[in-house]
Order: sequence, then C-alpha cells, then structure tokens
Amino acid sequence: MNKMTKNTTNGTKEVASEKPDYIKVDNFSFYYGSAKVLHSLNLDIPYKKVTAFIGPSGCGKSTLLRNLNRMNDLVDGIKHEGDIRVDGESIYDPFLEVISLRKRIGMVFQKSNPFPKTIYENVVYSLRIAGRNSKSELDTVVEKSLRGAALWDEVKDRLHESALGMSGGQMQRLCIARAIANKPEILLMDEPCSALDPIATAKVEELIHELKTEFTIVIVTHNMQQAARVSDRTAFFYLGKLIEYDKTEQLFMSPKVKQTEDYVSGRFG
Amino acid sequence: MKPIPERFRVAKKTLLFDKFMNNFIVVGGLGIILAVFGIFIFILAEIIPLFDKAEVKQSTVFEAKLPANRVIGLGVDEWCELPVAILDDASLLYTDLLGTRGTFEKKLPLDASDKLTCVNYVARKQELIVGTNDGRVAVAELKYATNFLPSGQRVIEPDVQLGEMYPVLDAKTAVTLADFGGKSESQLILAVGTTNGKQIVKGVTLKQKRSLFGKGKVEVDTDYDFSNQVKGTVKDIDVSIFGESFMLTMEDGTLQFFAKEGETFPLRQIIKPFESFADKEIVKGEYLLGDATFVVSNKNGDIIGYSSYLAKGAKNIQFAHTKTFEKIPGVLKHFTSCLRNKAFLIAGEKYASIRYGTTEDTRWEKKLDFDIQSIALSGKYEKMLFMDSEGRLHKYDITDHHPESGFQAFFGKIWYEGQPEADYIWQSTGGTDDFEPKLSLIPLIIGSLKGTFYALLFAVPISLIAALYTSQFVTPDVKRIVKPTVEIMASLPSVVLGFLAALWLAPIVDRQVPSFLLMIIVVPTIVLFFGWLWQQFPVYIRVKLPVGMEFAIAIPLIFLGCYLCTLIGPEVEKIFFVVTDPTTGKKVADFRLWWPETMGIPYTQRNALVVGFVMGFAVIPIIFTISEDAMSNVPKSLRSGSLALGASRWQTAINIVLPTAAAGIFSAVMIGFGRAVGETMIVVMATGNTAVMDMNIFSGMRTLSANTAVEIPEAPQHSTLYRGLFLGAMVLFLITFAVNTIAEVMRQKLRERYKTVE
Repeated sequence: MNKMTKNTTNGTKEVASEKPDYIKVDNFSFYYGSAKVLHSLNLDIPYKKVTAFIGPSGCGKSTLLRNLNRMNDLVDGIKHEGDIRVDGESIYDPFLEVISLRKRIGMVFQKSNPFPKTIYENVVYSLRIAGRNSKSELDTVVEKSLRGAALWDEVKDRLHESALGMSGGQMQRLCIARAIANKPEILLMDEPCSALDPIATAKVEELIHELKTEFTIVIVTHNMQQAARVSDRTAFFYLGKLIEYDKTEQLFMSPKVKQTEDYVSGRFG
Repeated sequence: MKPIPERFRVAKKTLLFDKFMNNFIVVGGLGIILAVFGIFIFILAEIIPLFDKAEVKQSTVFEAKLPANRVIGLGVDEWCELPVAILDDASLLYTDLLGTRGTFEKKLPLDASDKLTCVNYVARKQELIVGTNDGRVAVAELKYATNFLPSGQRVIEPDVQLGEMYPVLDAKTAVTLADFGGKSESQLILAVGTTNGKQIVKGVTLKQKRSLFGKGKVEVDTDYDFSNQVKGTVKDIDVSIFGESFMLTMEDGTLQFFAKEGETFPLRQIIKPFESFADKEIVKGEYLLGDATFVVSNKNGDIIGYSSYLAKGAKNIQFAHTKTFEKIPGVLKHFTSCLRNKAFLIAGEKYASIRYGTTEDTRWEKKLDFDIQSIALSGKYEKMLFMDSEGRLHKYDITDHHPESGFQAFFGKIWYEGQPEADYIWQSTGGTDDFEPKLSLIPLIIGSLKGTFYALLFAVPISLIAALYTSQFVTPDVKRIVKPTVEIMASLPSVVLGFLAALWLAPIVDRQVPSFLLMIIVVPTIVLFFGWLWQQFPVYIRVKLPVGMEFAIAIPLIFLGCYLCTLIGPEVEKIFFVVTDPTTGKKVADFRLWWPETMGIPYTQRNALVVGFVMGFAVIPIIFTISEDAMSNVPKSLRSGSLALGASRWQTAINIVLPTAAAGIFSAVMIGFGRAVGETMIVVMATGNTAVMDMNIFSGMRTLSANTAVEIPEAPQHSTLYRGLFLGAMVLFLITFAVNTIAEVMRQKLRERYKTVE
C-alpha cells in the first residue's frame, strides 16, 4: 500500500516526456496465419517512461510487445499491416538489420532463461557476440550491469559459477542484467514477475523503478497492482483491440471506458 | 470397518490387470538381460578353448621287451596301434598294441652281401635310409596299409618298400650319414663318409622319367661332390622334403645351408645359431612340418628356430632367427616333429614337452618317471609313444584341439615362415597341408577402425552441419520435408549400398580420382563463399528470399561446382599426376599410377575413400536425426534469449544451441560409430577384403565384421578358425562396449555441465 501511494504521488508529479511518441504504433494489425490477433492499434510510447500493457489472457498484449523487437519473426506464418516506428524509423524498414534492432531493444522474458554458462558469461553474452572481448571492459560491464540489476552484492563472489545454481528471483534479475549490459535504449519486459514470489517481485519492481531513468521500459503484466505500482502509463487491451490508454493514475482511478473499469476493479478478467 | 461406498471402490479387474502388467514388464526386462547374457556366455564358451593348453593322459604301458639299447628310432601309424622300433641293423620290430600279434620282426629285403654302416630313420618323412660299407644308399618307406574287415574292424599291416641301392660315395668309402628327400622330378640322396681321414660329402639327384605310358623308372641324374664346399666336420644331415635343399649340422656349432640353383647346389648360408649363447654346440637339429623352420638345441637346453624367407629384392631364400623356445632342463636328446601342424615333441633324459613352432608356446611338459630312450608322435597329433630303457612302450593320449592358437597367435607380433620380418598377419587358410595359419586379429581391428574412421570423417561433419542447419536455419516447412527424407535413407539396406559402392561408385571414382579429390575441396569452398557473398548483397535484395530458404540458391551452385570438377579433374591430372608407365615407358597422366609411385603405398580400386563415402552414407541418417532432435530440443527460451540480445542465428547456434545439445550430439556420433564399426555388407562388398594394416585412404581393408561374414562358411565347426572368428566377434563387441561406456560417462558429464532450467 505504501508503494502504491508512493507511485501515485510520483505519477502526479510526473514530468512530461521529452519524446512522447518515441515508439509509435501506427494502425498496426497482426495475423497468426489467418487469425487476426491485433486490430489496427495506435499507440505512442514515451521516452524513458514505464508503459504497462494490461488485459486478460489472449488479448494480444504480449504479441504487441514481441512485435516491438520483431521476436515474432521466429514464428511461422505471420503477417502484419501498418507500421511500428522507433524514434521515427520503421522497424520493418527493409534496409534495417533485425539484429541491430534487437541490440537496440532489450527484452526480459516471462520465464527466466539464463544460458547454461557462468553468471559472468551470461552478463557479457551480448558483448561477446559483438566481438568485444577486452577483459577490463567486460569486468566493468559485469559489475555495472549486476549493480544495475541489484544483484552485485549477492553474486559478486561467485561470478564464475553456473548461473543455474541461482534462485528464481536472482535468475530473473540476472536476465535483466544481461539485457541491460549492452545499454539498449528500450527494455521490453514480458510478465517478468509472473514466476516469482512476492519478495523477489518487490525487488524486481524496485529495479524497474530505477531503470526508468536510463531506459524506456514497456512491461506486460497480468497483475494490475503491479501495473499501478511501476508504470507511468497503462494500456488496456481486450480481444486484440486497444480499449483505453492513459496515464496510469487516470486509467485506474477514473477509467473512461466501462470495460476498463470492470477489468481494473476486478469484475472480470 | 465401515463399508466403502461404491463410488470409491476399485474394480478387482483394474487391480489384477495392474499387477499382471507389472510382473509382465519385470519378466520381459529380465528376459532381455538373460538373453544378452546367454549370447555372451555362448560366445565365451566358444572362445575359452582357444586358450587351453594341451591335455595329456597316459593310456597304457606295454611290456614290449624291446632291445632298448639297439633301438635308433620309433615309428607309428596314424592311430598309434602298430608302432615300429627300428634297430641299429635296420631290422624292424613291430608291436601290436591292440591285437594279439605281440611283437614281431620284419626285415628289409636286403642282399646278404650288403653290410650296413648307416641306418637313419626320419620320422617326419617316415623313411628309413640305409648306407652300406661300399658307398651305396637305399631308401625304405615305412608305411602302413589299413584294411577293414567285414566286421568293420580296422587292421593295420606294415607296408615296407625298399628302394633301389644307389651308389653315392665311391666303393671304398663306408656311408656314415645319409638322408633323402624329394618327389619324382627332383630327388636328392646325400651321404657322408670318410676315406683316408678325409671327409667325403656326396649327393646324387634322381629323376623319374615320364612317358606316354605313365611314370617310368627312377634313374640317377647327376652326381655331386660337396666335399670341398663343406667347411668343417659334418655331424648330421637333413635333406628337405622337396629335395631341393639340405641343411648340414656341423661339429663346430654352425649350420650350412645348400640350395638348388639350376643344376648346382651352392652353399647359400652359414648360420651360427648359438653364437651369443653360453654353449655354442648344436646337439640336435630338425625341420618342422613344411621344412621351412629348422629347430636347433644346444647342451644347455636352449632351443631356437630358424625360418627361411625371401628378403625383398633378394633372389634366394635365407634363414633368420625367428623363434626362441623355453629352455628345457638338461640336454635335448629326442626330437620329432608333427605331421599335421607345426608342433614338435622333444625329450631329454626324463623330461618331455610339446612345443608349437609358430607361437613358441609350450603346449605341455612333464618330468616322466622313466628314462626316455625313444619317442614318437602319431600323425593325427592325438597319441605319443615313449620307449624306456627297459624296452617298455608308454602310450599317451594328447587332447589339443587348438595348438596354433593362444594370446600370442591372435594379438602378438609373430615372425611367420616365409616372411621377411615379424608382423601382424591374418591369413587363416592356405593352399597346402603344411600351411602355417596366420591368425593375428590386429590387422582386422585396424581395418575396422580404419573403415570407421573414414566413414565418420565423411559423415560426422556433414550430418552435424546438416542437423544444425535443419534445426536452426530452415523454415519449419522445409524441415518437415528434409527430416523424414533423411530418415528414409537409413532404411536403405546396406547390401544395396554395398552393391552400389562396389559396382557403380568404385569404378567411377577409379576413373576420376582427381575430380573427386577436387570436389572434397570445392564443395565446402562454394558453400562458404556463397555464404559470404550473400552477406554482401544489400538488405533489400536479401529480404526477397524468405529467411531459411538461402539453400535454394546454394544447391544448384554446388551441383555446378561438382560438374566443373569433373571437367577440371582430368586437366589437373595432366599437370600434377604424370608418371612413366612401367609397361610402355611412356609418360602418362594417371593418378592411380602416380599415387603408389610417389607415396610408396598401394592404390586399389576398392579403397577406403569409396567405403568411407558409402558407409558414411549409411551413418549420416543416424547421426543426423539424433543430433537434429537434440538441437531442436534446446529450449526455445534459450534461443529467444540469445536472439533478443542481438545474436545472429549463427551466433545463437554456435554459442547456445551446440553446447546445450552437446550431450545429445555426442550420443549421436557414438551411435554412428557403433553402426560403422559393426557394418558388414558394405565393407564386404566394397573393400576388397585384404587384411592390410595401414591407414592409406587409397587401399582397402578387412574389418572384423566382414572377416566373420567371409570366413565363417569356410570354418569347420569348433576348429581354431571357427573359434577365432568368435574371438573376433568378441573383440568387436568389447570395442563397442568400451566406446559406449566411455561415451555414456562423457555424455552424463556434458549433460551435467550444460543442463538447462526446466
């Protein structure tokens, strides 16, 4: 409750983002095979803010998130209409390498997925594949990223042990550390706390709060309290349509649409 | 107890069925374990007798009352029923060991005027050579005639045939030593005598005339006088069974070997067998069966063997020290070689032993409780006979089914007769009765490993790269077609592959070796070059081709490359592989001639390149499908995690997929190894089955499995070869067992190391 208040206060004092339409979803529709799962979405995500996507299961919030760094390309038989622009550049530009797009947009998955390597190697993975192998640089990045993910003090003595020996919460924070190691501009989080216990969840939420100063964060969550706690803006999806998108406080306290009100007050979902 | 409500009750049928299935599965599992053990025990039972020593049992002692001090030799028939004691006056005392005839005498039909000065019985030829005081020599064959009575009883009669007396020395010289050897066209009688203190060594060759009316009379062909050639005093003479050479044992401890060359018998070699031994004198020297190995002994009981061979490039055969047998206690007094194999029976004062020539093995030895005066070994190598100083005959039964086997025979380096050096050789059968079986499994083991090595060299890179590509790069649509197609490859019978390899591929490769060598270089280069080139294309061109369909352009390029190789190959041959044809003397461009001339190792049409390719074809589906499964089973979350960090597909495959799937990939390779090492039909048909021992890619091989398949129809049941083939099977089993065990341990380690969160 304490946090809620804090966030809410924060929300009222919110400074306007310098780029309110940093990520622009422009009349975007998306198909899995013949099934249309996203219907002409229009959405502006502001720079260095936390934007939450909420909605019942199957509403398309994760699909939209995974489209932002084109992870859906891995799926067979997909099709899209409309466009998504990041900082004014279309992510579907044929001249754009999808690899560089993904370097720019980091991602944290619902289920923590550390590689079967050491903690150290997990963190520096994105640097290694970019061919950056200087020991001093990697050491600096590891410490910085792990501190950024609030994990440094817990693991600094076992950096060269397998990442699979960590607890679930630690693993998820390691994945966040890994995602921020290469300093992306945007961080996508797909229900990052759904598999964590309340204490680990609190730590991750705190972390999101701190990361906001550096990254533009988009988070998908099932948990409305979480959305209320961590985000500046919230988008409510239902059946592949964007129902309502507003400042978090606004959306939770006085939703404009009946469906949103029903959902956030727990009447369905 | 309260009654359980109907809805909570379990039907009796369910419980019974559950119990039955539980037991059924237990029985089935145990049955499999038992079956495997059963096979194992069966194979072991076939192998163990190979390592048995000879078993010797005394059967009877016969009071023959022979004049022991006058007996110079013992002869026996095949069954050891009617032994003959040869006395110093050439009279023959036959003793009926089974029947009622007792001991009876038979005289050689000699003239009364013949004064015998030399009586020499040669057991290995069953011949008695007698010499007279006037320099003549005659040969008597001590054979047996076997008749069967109407009752089925076997009756053995002596069959003694005395040949003509041939004058060998001059009429004034008494013969002291004489021997004979040879058949029809080439026969040699050799005799030694002394005149006026001078040693005379002379020989005559006999020739049997052949005419239209059949075999004619044996006539003296040529006289030889070796007296001046022989250096030193002759102690004993041994004419080889073919009459084309003879060995003189000298008083000074040397052996002098004479062999026929055209119409002369020059001295070929002087051997000093005991030069490096404490005692240099030769007390006894005899040939083994086949007359290719001469065994000598000195006073200290050292026994060594010299075998003849033709050195590389040499014209004449020579002898070399090839065998060293275990010493015997005391002096070797009696020696008789077996008529069936390379075994020989030796005896000292009381000590008797059976040794085996090829393996230097002591098959049996014993200190007997009587003084041995004479010995004999039956033709079937089943009985032996000793005469003691009281003139009694002691008969022994020998049970030794596999004298030529043993650890040394199968795994040791042996200097075989006729070979220029000690070597590992497999040659189980030969054309003659005195053939020495060569049973080394080492060339077969090397052959198996060679075939496997080349097959895996071809199959492992291709199938692993294919699996990686299929699991990580192509679209699911393509994978749905590719994977079952490759799996169908596995169902191709290997006899079909072997047939194709032997009759279709081998001749094609044979005609165009340089083209195929080029392809091995060109195809991977094309693929790599295409990959690089594709990356150089601008993005907007590349997006025209769906991700994962790049191979559609690469494949035609590969075929084009192969076609170009077949065009360029002959040109390359003309530049690099030119040799002088030994038959015509002209310069020709032919890789098949160039390879042996330049590398010094042979080239054959059925070679490891063809086998590696076709066996690789048989192994690829297995390695491919198992490793593809392993790679596809890498959790998607790990792949996504890597891709989301901006790794390319290739980086993800190398850094994440390969390590995580390492255990499965390793298993795939090991299962492929197991398949290749045990593969039979392809190697039988496409290797030429020569048991050579090298890793030369252009020569064939003989594998353990192919060897079993090829030779089992030729092996009489329970013969040494038959059991030897089972030993080969066991070795094959142990190889795969060892490799699989190591592989499993490593797989567990890999799995532990790269386990993922689940």
